[in-house]
Amino acid sequence: MKIDRRSFLSLGIGAAAGTALSPLPWKITDDLSIWSQNWPWTPVPQDGEATYVNSVCTLCPGGCGISVRKIDDRAVKIEGMKGFPINDGGICILGLSGLQLLYGPTRIASPLKRTGKRGEGAFQAVSWKQAISEVVDKLSSLRKEGKPHTVAGISGEREGTTGRLFKRFLTAYGSPNFMHVPSAADASEQVLYLMHGQGTTLGMDLENADYILSFSAGLLDGWGSPVRMFKANSRLKDKKGKLVQIEPRLSSTAAKADKWLPITPGAEGALALGLAHVIIAESLHNREFIENYTSGFEAFANYVRNGFSPDIVAQITGIPKAGIVSLAREFAGASRPVAICGRGQGDTPGALCEAVAVHALNALVGNINRTGGVWSVAQPVDFNWSQVWPDEPARMGLARKRIDGAGGPLLPQSLLNRFPQAVNGKNPYEVQALLVSNANPLYTMRDVESVKKAFDRIGFIVSFSSYMDETAQYSDLILPNHHYLERYEVVEGIKGMTSPFIGMAKPVVKPLYNTRHTADVIIELASELKGTVAAAFPWASYEACLKQTLGYKVNALAEDGYWMDGGYMPPDWSNAFKTPSGKFEFNLSPFKHKVYTHPEGDPSIFPLVLIPYDSLRLANDQIGNAPFMTKTVADTVLQKSDAVVEINPETGKQLRLAEGSLAVLKTPKKTVKVAVHLSQGVGPGIVAVPRGLGHLGNDRYLAGKGVNVNDLIGPVDDVVSGLDAAWGIRASLAKS
Amino acid sequence: MKEGHNQIQTSKFGMVIDLDKCTGCGACMVACMSENNVPFREDESDKLLSITWMRVYQISNGKPYPDNEICYLPRPCMHCEGHAGHSPCVSVCPATATDYDSASGIVSQIYTRCFGCRYCMGACPYHARYFNWWDPVWPKGMEQYLSPNVSPRMRGIVEKCSFCFHRYQLARDKAYYEGRRTIKEEEYQSACTQACPAGAITFGDLLNPGHKVHQMVLPDLNHHGRPRNPHAFRLLERLGTNPKVYYLSGREWVRRAGDNYVQGEKQAEHH
Amino acid sequence: MSTVEEKVKESSEHAASAPAKAASEKSGGEDRNAGAGGPITLFFILGLAASLVVGWVVFPKLLYSQKSQPFDFNHALHMEEVDNGCESCHFFREDGSFSGSPRLAQCVACHEDVQGVSEDEKIFVENYVVEDREVPWLVYSKQPDCVFFSHAAHVKGAGMDCAVCHGPIGESDHLKVYEENRISGYSRDIWGKNISGIKRNSWDRMKMDDCAECHMETTGRTSSVQTKKDGCFVCHK
Repeated sequence: MKIDRRSFLSLGIGAAAGTALSPLPWKITDDLSIWSQNWPWTPVPQDGEATYVNSVCTLCPGGCGISVRKIDDRAVKIEGMKGFPINDGGICILGLSGLQLLYGPTRIASPLKRTGKRGEGAFQAVSWKQAISEVVDKLSSLRKEGKPHTVAGISGEREGTTGRLFKRFLTAYGSPNFMHVPSAADASEQVLYLMHGQGTTLGMDLENADYILSFSAGLLDGWGSPVRMFKANSRLKDKKGKLVQIEPRLSSTAAKADKWLPITPGAEGALALGLAHVIIAESLHNREFIENYTSGFEAFANYVRNGFSPDIVAQITGIPKAGIVSLAREFAGASRPVAICGRGQGDTPGALCEAVAVHALNALVGNINRTGGVWSVAQPVDFNWSQVWPDEPARMGLARKRIDGAGGPLLPQSLLNRFPQAVNGKNPYEVQALLVSNANPLYTMRDVESVKKAFDRIGFIVSFSSYMDETAQYSDLILPNHHYLERYEVVEGIKGMTSPFIGMAKPVVKPLYNTRHTADVIIELASELKGTVAAAFPWASYEACLKQTLGYKVNALAEDGYWMDGGYMPPDWSNAFKTPSGKFEFNLSPFKHKVYTHPEGDPSIFPLVLIPYDSLRLANDQIGNAPFMTKTVADTVLQKSDAVVEINPETGKQLRLAEGSLAVLKTPKKTVKVAVHLSQGVGPGIVAVPRGLGHLGNDRYLAGKGVNVNDLIGPVDDVVSGLDAAWGIRASLAKS
Repeated sequence: MKEGHNQIQTSKFGMVIDLDKCTGCGACMVACMSENNVPFREDESDKLLSITWMRVYQISNGKPYPDNEICYLPRPCMHCEGHAGHSPCVSVCPATATDYDSASGIVSQIYTRCFGCRYCMGACPYHARYFNWWDPVWPKGMEQYLSPNVSPRMRGIVEKCSFCFHRYQLARDKAYYEGRRTIKEEEYQSACTQACPAGAITFGDLLNPGHKVHQMVLPDLNHHGRPRNPHAFRLLERLGTNPKVYYLSGREWVRRAGDNYVQGEKQAEHH
Repeated sequence: MSTVEEKVKESSEHAASAPAKAASEKSGGEDRNAGAGGPITLFFILGLAASLVVGWVVFPKLLYSQKSQPFDFNHALHMEEVDNGCESCHFFREDGSFSGSPRLAQCVACHEDVQGVSEDEKIFVENYVVEDREVPWLVYSKQPDCVFFSHAAHVKGAGMDCAVCHGPIGESDHLKVYEENRISGYSRDIWGKNISGIKRNSWDRMKMDDCAECHMETTGRTSSVQTKKDGCFVCHK
């Protein structure tokens, strides 16, 4: 038998025929096509039982109710809670991104101790026992040396039980230096103190107003409780009310307003006084209120009569005289007008006189404590905590002057903006230790460079952050808090709320890492310090403290997530004011600080004026942007890793800067590289810079993108209140 | 098998977006991304490569400062019906990966079916379709938030807004379980509609006179669903794509901008 | 003799081995005629026979890997104990979703401690109940991630019996071996036990065409513009 080439061919043909007659080719083709549709590295989410857990979002002070969808133990989606009084199902972009923060790479998984140089980011994991004993050792030795006052605390919350416990801890320990992160609420608190004579909070009944006059308040850019503001605006649209936005830049709020009046940056207070001038001159004010329930009206009338005629104000503000007059008439003629202030998201207090000027407008139209107006709102919780009885060392410490010079009859409780100056400059004493909770001062404070310098002079910095933010990176010890979806937290002091309200956040998922609630850590620190410090904290845990504090409200909070005095009505005019005169007082003392000041910087070197602007797509407070949020940022705000600044095309022409070109932006504080966007939404001579970029910490989806506008602007002290009055700075821009 | 289980309601799901209420905050975009397992990368500033099923555009009246006006325009997939379901993308798909379902009006995209030729992207006049140039990668731990209701995509395929049809599936599940054949208006709402803090988005059945979307736009079904509300318009109406996303605006320049008019051209008359 | 596998085996073995047998008989015959037809025919037959054996016998063995369940389970025994048939353990949740394989919490109600003498129950209690671990069952009917299958639509809406798709698994005493396709990763039950894809029972195969065919027959829906069948997203996600 001869085996030749043909035999092999024949074998091959036979094999081919056999294969074709077998299922092999068809089955393999099918399987391969399926294989090509399911790469093993594409994750397949596990299915399971879907449930919803309700809680309150604490990412911003807005206090929205959230419903978190879970599949078994995993949280898969955050939605707004239907029926919740603040947001009724709506939710903002940050609240929606919360799960990226929960499961994201920026979480701190255990207590950490610094190993390398400060700010290098080299840490080693330590046990909770060791971390707490290191803090206790430091604090007790300072107390033994008679220096408890050299410990300072920075808290992100003005209110809230954790913030209050933190403050109580410092008091019992013997330090007067509890500081909170400032906001426009500090200014409005001062306004109420001066004009109403009481320290309540300022509520805005925007849902029932029919004419909203906003002095650069970014109602639709994240001001106050953002979702509530959005709903109020949509309601205003439905009932054909009017929103007038006074603002240097065409912000989202300005874009949606019925009228946008561009104004010279920083001149908002002067405009308010100009409007007051017209209202008084034309007798458009509410006589009943002014004549019976106010004092100091004549002096105020004189003040605006002499210094703030429409001619003068037109010059300061850049708004034509006729526009000022007609605006004043329109405002006074509306049936429920309301004037609001607080630039952008209201994170910066601004000069006190501005807030007073705007509040005076509301008083002129008799819009205090009335439907559709501004209300003073009572405290929702009576903190019936036992009094702190400091021991001798603590009493000595508490007797010392505060490092930031705050307190006293006219000054706010805390002036964090002055803290870096005080530490860097001539201070009564050196700060030895700093505790930071729920705040990221190395990002959010102005002139970050000087804040860093101050931090360098402090020997021991402890951060309670859940995330590896700039301040955590720069601290010596990190005692990570549970993530906001893993913990209880009581939310009070919601900006602009018209009813006494508290919300309660509760754990949605079990803690993922070796973290602990900051309030529990504070209670443990106190108990380790023993003596009167321990005695000031009679609770076994934060939860026990909450139960005792909230009393009967606990049930409503556990069930609905909030407690609200729904039928609350503010006191009527005859009972509303606790001033010496018993009336609403037109107080002129804040005007010792000029109502319009030029920004810092020499105009011959820095011909432009830089203003920061806020956007909801860029979280700019303690919480940094989640990846989804940065994804939504427009290419006219961020290009690759360059921040984009807005200038008028005319300015661009002068500086020979085209759309997208790279430029060097210089201010008296810092020089940075930016890209340029030519925008018809800002006037000539203005550079608008987005806030919320330029992070160094957090994850790789955020760090190193753009510039932090806080690096570029320095604080300016209000000579009366001490609050930060800066709204911008001078700058120059040149092709790079 | 029981009689009559094939009688499901015939609907035409659509969306109405009130541009006077939309503030451009971007909540709809993130609501969509987190609902639909949309991936993200380190740099998303090149918007041609950035996958955003729902994208908020900014349009301008083109006037100089201080008369400049801007308007935000959220753009999901328009779920075009075209003529008898021949929407631009469906007509060109060689893989039967994208389909028009005439019982619901939904243009679906089946990822495992798609082989990435991108004809549909070329055909779509709204840039509503996105190509996965990279494998989706979630940082370690983050894959925990992925929803099992939407299948994560892979490199090399096209994806787009689905009108959250998985929510329709879930709503129908519940209806079947409760022995119902119809679902209520509030049972099927897209994630963006639900999240919008301004209440600018409305979603529902355009065929159902009881639904808000129908009442808001008053679609003329004899003329490819053209809106009878004079403030309502659709994007690129004259292309005849017959979209199911309607916009409302009281501003004329915004309505005109929706149809890409040549400057100075007179507005085409509606019939 | 009542596992599903064994019931199915009888038919599928018959189908799979018949052609192979025929082929080998034939090749024996060729040997005797080698002188007449020459080596060409012989080699053709050899090639044909070998590839048929590979395609029908070797390939299916290579294609599937065999995996055993964490421990054996007796469906028939449990069916006697419960009141509500399959839905006693494989129930619908209130939102209309289907629970699938029971979770540990359901089993623990009865199996807190070892009740019988079965070795498998001992494994279950010691390795899973005591350690509070979910049982990693291998699901024979598991569909890929791109599939949205609505149990509610089929069972509640159309009133279909579980066995139409799952076969008489409820009557089985033992769990059959789980076979996983080495290429696609799917369970063998999706393609069906029969490698040629021939289907005798409604539950023999669960590929897309099977779904579509049944949908066409029973619902007559033609709402898909592309396929003139039921809409794609009805079963896909």
